[in-house]
Amino acid sequence: MSTTIASTEHDTQGGHGASHDDHPAFLQHHFVNADQQFDAAKMGMWLFLITEILLFSGMFVAYTVYRAWHPEVFLEASTLLDWKLGGLNTLVLLASSLTVALSIHYIQKGNQAALFWNLLITILLACVFLVVKYFEYMAKFEHGIFAGEGFDPHGVSHGVDYAKYNIPYAKQFFSIYFIMTGIHGFHVIVGIILMTWLLVKARLGHFSAAWYTPVELTGLYWHIVDIIWIFLFPLMYLI
Amino acid sequence: MADGHHGHHIVPLKILWGVFGGLIFLTIITVITAKQVDLGPLNLPLALVIAGTKATLVVTFFMALKWDNRVNLLIFSLGFIFVIVFLSFTLFDTSFRGDMSNAEENYISDQERIEQQLLERQERLEQGLPLDVEEEEPADAGHGDDHGDDGH
Repeated sequence: MSTTIASTEHDTQGGHGASHDDHPAFLQHHFVNADQQFDAAKMGMWLFLITEILLFSGMFVAYTVYRAWHPEVFLEASTLLDWKLGGLNTLVLLASSLTVALSIHYIQKGNQAALFWNLLITILLACVFLVVKYFEYMAKFEHGIFAGEGFDPHGVSHGVDYAKYNIPYAKQFFSIYFIMTGIHGFHVIVGIILMTWLLVKARLGHFSAAWYTPVELTGLYWHIVDIIWIFLFPLMYLI
Repeated sequence: MADGHHGHHIVPLKILWGVFGGLIFLTIITVITAKQVDLGPLNLPLALVIAGTKATLVVTFFMALKWDNRVNLLIFSLGFIFVIVFLSFTLFDTSFRGDMSNAEENYISDQERIEQQLLERQERLEQGLPLDVEEEEPADAGHGDDHGDDGH
């Protein structure tokens, strides 16, 4: 029955590439055609991404409220974060956004090899991001900079006296910092898992110019992860 | 594709690399303006404007919303509007606490001070230290309670 509907649809649209009898394996029976299936999947992804943005907006609102209440504390506490490492991670994530966009560009042209390599570079860049984040976290944990009640800055390293940062509401700044970058980092890990799955599928030749929906959707997800960081970087590290 | 099927627009390489270059450029600009240029209270909005521009570039070109089905732009815009509502309505509350006529001056700071003292007290209890400030605490706590009752 679905074939009939698909054929009718193709007839009314005057046909666009696919022949009338052609019913691709990836097309599920409840969709009229591949375009409709693609658009539905993509719209679902956009809806999900909105929930992601709202999730992070809750934390951005917390940041804004506490900053508005104690601007001087946030300014001072933020100097404890290494903006060079934050900046490096910004460049790394921007580059990974480019490579994921490139991977979509190439699979749209049917270039499976370029898809594979761009996905691989994206995964490697995501790993670099996490490694940098790991060293940042460890440098803070060493000196008692934790989220919540564990906050107890002490010790001196690289000429920075951490005890100096034991001021009221610095705890709130670092709690927000760790929660936001932690949840962001979790999203990076999820992205790595998704893209590894894509990488395997790409290697097996599952994607083509006709069907690359998972690449497109994961790409959208990855760009949102990038956008969150675009806001986190200046707000946490710079100002 | 050429006959208007959305979702399958191929973003040209030139645009992808150009946008990437723009994003790197803006990252450098935001670091320089935040670290070298002292604009006082304007540093924060400037950084946000730059971040917003970068986010717009990513959404428009990397996520290809420019060529996408319009309904996705609608979804994105609605989500964005609700983020603004969320942020601004929360700030309507938090930015003007204590400004209302039914709350006395320093109402919030009083509460914060009491809370701080209670936390310190808790810390001392945990560490088994004597409670030095016990004399002044009940007075303060009572002060805070009065205001709390006014509020109800």
